[in-house]
Amino acid sequence: MTQELLGAPDVAGRAEPVVQPKANPIVSPTESTAPLNSAALITEATLAAAALAACGGGGGGGSTSGGTTGGTGTGSGTSGGTGIKLSTVGYNFLTPVTDDDAARFLLQAQFSASDADIAAVRSSGFAPWLEAQLARPNGPTGWDWLEAQGYGDVLNTNNYYDNSYPADYMVWNQLMTSPDALRKRVTLALSEYFVVSLTGLDFAWRSHAMAAYWDTLAANAFGNYRDLLEAVTLNVAMGYYLNTKGNKKEDSSGRQPDENYSREVMQLFTIGLVQLNLDGTAKLDAAGKKIDSYTASDVSNLARVFTGFDVDQSQNVTTVIPQTGGGTRTVGNTAFARLRMVQTAANHSNLAATFLGTTVAANTAGAAALKTALDTLFNHPNAAPFFCKQMIQRLVTSNPSPAYVQRVATVFSNNGAGLRGDLARVFAAILQDDEARGPTGLTAPEFGKLREPILRFVQWGRSFGVASGSGAWKIGDLSNAGTQLGQSPLRSPSVFNFFRPGYVPPSTALSAGAVAPEFQLVTESSVGGYLNYMMGVISNGLNSNDISAAYTGELAVVDDPVALVRRVSLMLCAGQLSAANQTLIATALAATRVDTGGSANGNLTLRKNRVYAAVLMVMASAEYLIQK
Amino acid sequence: MHLIQPHLHSRRAFLKRSGQLAMTGVGLPLALNLAAMGEAAAFDATDYKALVCVFLFGGNDYANTVVTYDDPSYNLYNTIRGGGAGQTAGGIALAKSALAATRLNPATAPVDVLGQARQYALHPSMTGLAGLFNAGNAAVQLNVGPLVVPMTRTQYNSSNRTLNPLPPQLFSHNDQQSIWQSSSPEGSTVGWGGNIGDLALSSNTNSLFTCMSVSGNAVFLSGDTALQYQVSTSGAIKITPATASTVYGSSAVKAAIASLIQQTRTQKLENEYNKVTQRAIGAESSITAALALPQPATAFATDSLSQQLKMVARLIKGQSVLGAKRQVFFVSLGGFDLHDNLIAQQPTLMDRVSLAMTAFYNATVEMGVASKVTAFTASDFGRTLASNGDGSDHGWGSHHLMVGGAVRGKAFYGTPPPVSVGSTAAAADQWHVGQGRLLPSTSVDQYAATLATWFGVAPGELSGILPNIGHFGGAGYPVNLGFMA
Repeated sequence: MTQELLGAPDVAGRAEPVVQPKANPIVSPTESTAPLNSAALITEATLAAAALAACGGGGGGGSTSGGTTGGTGTGSGTSGGTGIKLSTVGYNFLTPVTDDDAARFLLQAQFSASDADIAAVRSSGFAPWLEAQLARPNGPTGWDWLEAQGYGDVLNTNNYYDNSYPADYMVWNQLMTSPDALRKRVTLALSEYFVVSLTGLDFAWRSHAMAAYWDTLAANAFGNYRDLLEAVTLNVAMGYYLNTKGNKKEDSSGRQPDENYSREVMQLFTIGLVQLNLDGTAKLDAAGKKIDSYTASDVSNLARVFTGFDVDQSQNVTTVIPQTGGGTRTVGNTAFARLRMVQTAANHSNLAATFLGTTVAANTAGAAALKTALDTLFNHPNAAPFFCKQMIQRLVTSNPSPAYVQRVATVFSNNGAGLRGDLARVFAAILQDDEARGPTGLTAPEFGKLREPILRFVQWGRSFGVASGSGAWKIGDLSNAGTQLGQSPLRSPSVFNFFRPGYVPPSTALSAGAVAPEFQLVTESSVGGYLNYMMGVISNGLNSNDISAAYTGELAVVDDPVALVRRVSLMLCAGQLSAANQTLIATALAATRVDTGGSANGNLTLRKNRVYAAVLMVMASAEYLIQK
Repeated sequence: MHLIQPHLHSRRAFLKRSGQLAMTGVGLPLALNLAAMGEAAAFDATDYKALVCVFLFGGNDYANTVVTYDDPSYNLYNTIRGGGAGQTAGGIALAKSALAATRLNPATAPVDVLGQARQYALHPSMTGLAGLFNAGNAAVQLNVGPLVVPMTRTQYNSSNRTLNPLPPQLFSHNDQQSIWQSSSPEGSTVGWGGNIGDLALSSNTNSLFTCMSVSGNAVFLSGDTALQYQVSTSGAIKITPATASTVYGSSAVKAAIASLIQQTRTQKLENEYNKVTQRAIGAESSITAALALPQPATAFATDSLSQQLKMVARLIKGQSVLGAKRQVFFVSLGGFDLHDNLIAQQPTLMDRVSLAMTAFYNATVEMGVASKVTAFTASDFGRTLASNGDGSDHGWGSHHLMVGGAVRGKAFYGTPPPVSVGSTAAAADQWHVGQGRLLPSTSVDQYAATLATWFGVAPGELSGILPNIGHFGGAGYPVNLGFMA
């Protein structure tokens, strides 16, 4: 097979920088057809830091995700990003020139744009702000939060181990409060690429396993894609979800290895269905047809590699719990849920496995076979454009130009120091790119993407000072499209995510070939379900007002409808409301009363109502819903 | 030589013929009058007909749904799936004794290519549908799946894909879902249900209610001009902040929101969103009025599929309010991708399918439209006959069910596949492509053509709906499978 790889993985299965690049800067093999991404070339002085960060140790920056180590494989505790110096060479928009400009960047890079965030980006410029965020350690883990909230108590009569709602609370808490917002925004995007859904998990301590999965994505978000792929593959929640857990070799009765992970790791997590150019466009054969990336035989063969795995029970401690109806039930502890799955040789296929032009010889041990398989997928020419295009779609725009995809994929292929799969630089390249930063997209008729409902809701919370009075953050599954958001984190209906990257709305007026993935969630029911739900949440909060917004900054300008709409527009949509709609909203706000001439409390109610109205009107606007 | 040019297939020719209409924009379906073009002449709009697609997301395991029952075939099945001695359960095999109550008793037993007269039973939890089959109100289509052309296993294994073209992206969930619904992989925007709807638009006073999903977005229901309209199991969602008298105490705020969410925008993504909102607001009062009629007395279960089909029944009952004479519906149930826990989890799924489709049929009887309404199943693909330990993997062909008063029931259609996972030159091994992944002996195009023809689509229009139907019609591959009266 074609090797796009420059930095060959070492024997430990981790992509390491090759030795040459310091003396002899690596050039991409596609350079002849691709503009050199000078932005990705960094100074030699920074190479050591880059290499260190990529080694999996996390430098000095990392929480270790609550100890998700053990089993086979490489450092899962990586935090990545530490000490990165980003180049700005090749980029034309380095510093925001307006608050709107800063907010636009922030709303792509994280969930919200506070006054302080806007000031920080305006002061430092994009790259230094990103460097500071990349250097932040992973915030409090979901696992630790579950433990702190008592959800790990095996004796609690709510049987937390049988429920998935603690994981809903956990992930909403992460999204609403975690201080490392860039990392958590990227983690959400990764959770929509490497999909595991609570809806499909049915085993004891599923919420803890889901937290461990979320923490794994977060811990590796700025690390190396190869490490992330391995951590995902051996994660317990993924093991249950796509059946690697308990997958056994073929036998004489005709039993075959389970093909689920084998198929989806190729189709969804690494290379996709058809061969791609570095710019994300499909390669075509002589007849002008797309070329399949793999065959049914590749799937069946690769499936042999994923046999022999099961959960690690080495730290298990059981508790015998009397049942109300009589009898007892024996429940294990949470330990297995964050340990990597382990290999049992007797269950691992000893057949040779030939896939994607690579052969794992017969009788290869499980760990070595896994390394070959994951290296092959990681080094496949599709891996860079397939992943990078989808991450651009999640963060910036549904229809990136091929050149934009290629610029980012080039960084994936080689971070400038010969390292492949450097995710910190990949995400920086997505956010620094002229196509994301320049003004063209603000007026182009199809630029941008629909803000997915999760993002709208989290943005509301973070923008307006939402807090949980009790600290319990009981925000549950909001998947109902008719009455709620129609989307809830870590609750995709299937491994194919809430929406497909190639989704085209029915009866669309978009250009031929244009896609709009998030529109897969848009129906005649969900448009109203969202508005009705937000109308209640904006004023009443959630959970009997335990979770509610303060609106401090908005109440401060409530007497001036024009200033109020301007502020809400800045925070929610980077000032992208048209003048006409700002006027429309301000006029409606001016028609609301803020002074009864009566009690101060009465006046506060009216003032709050005006703020609620401003927020709902902006969040209802198509100019807000489409993030540009 | 077979011409496969999905982007040029005759659906486009249809679009071209109706070009003056299509070009008026998708927001104006009410303006359409296809009858004036003679396209819909075959539709006699004086009565009512509805097609209901019941989609089983994830790829249903055919072998434990329509289960082989005669001893020679059952014994092969039992061995392949790891069953116990004496025809007992084991592995992912069902016990033969468990199948007696759902045994299917066709007027004529289907005979496979080996000359074996075959017997079948439905999954043990499907007592309702077995009853409908045996009463003559349901039938089974054997081994149906996407095909571009009729195909043998030898042709499947051939490297000449010009002579032996395959449907794209076999075994991939999202793509096979799309191909079942639209003949094209992911990214497709026009499905055969929607194309049937295109031809029926003029029969309906309000064409927005021609193609309705009670599930999520489904390409099946999108035509070249017909729009998919989505409704929840509780009816149309009224947008409170645009319809209440005041919002946060202000009528001005309410009026502003109603304006903002229905504005025409020049930014195309913004406009796409507001178009859906416009439709939702425009249709809500009609749907709500239709649903205000007394509900069918037939009891439905509380799970999602039953509630979806209950909503379809209620919408059919409200057809006079909606002004709909021809309707295509889409409902769905997920969870069929049982790589693991097949034996543990399939019973609940099959029970839901059977209960929901049986109740729905009974509701159509109650409403006096049983012979006007046909429900049929579809799924991503069938699965392997071979076991992976406690489940099965992605396959291709599958068995499907058609239910309704117009179905020629108590019968099997198509050809029973021999029970085999072998890969030799033996005749028994020519009906699958490895591990018992069925090579379809009937194409989705034939299945769809049979339903569309009953619905009123003229023979000459089929190629505008089903791009590969022209490749069928020869021996063993009739365009009309005959299961509709």
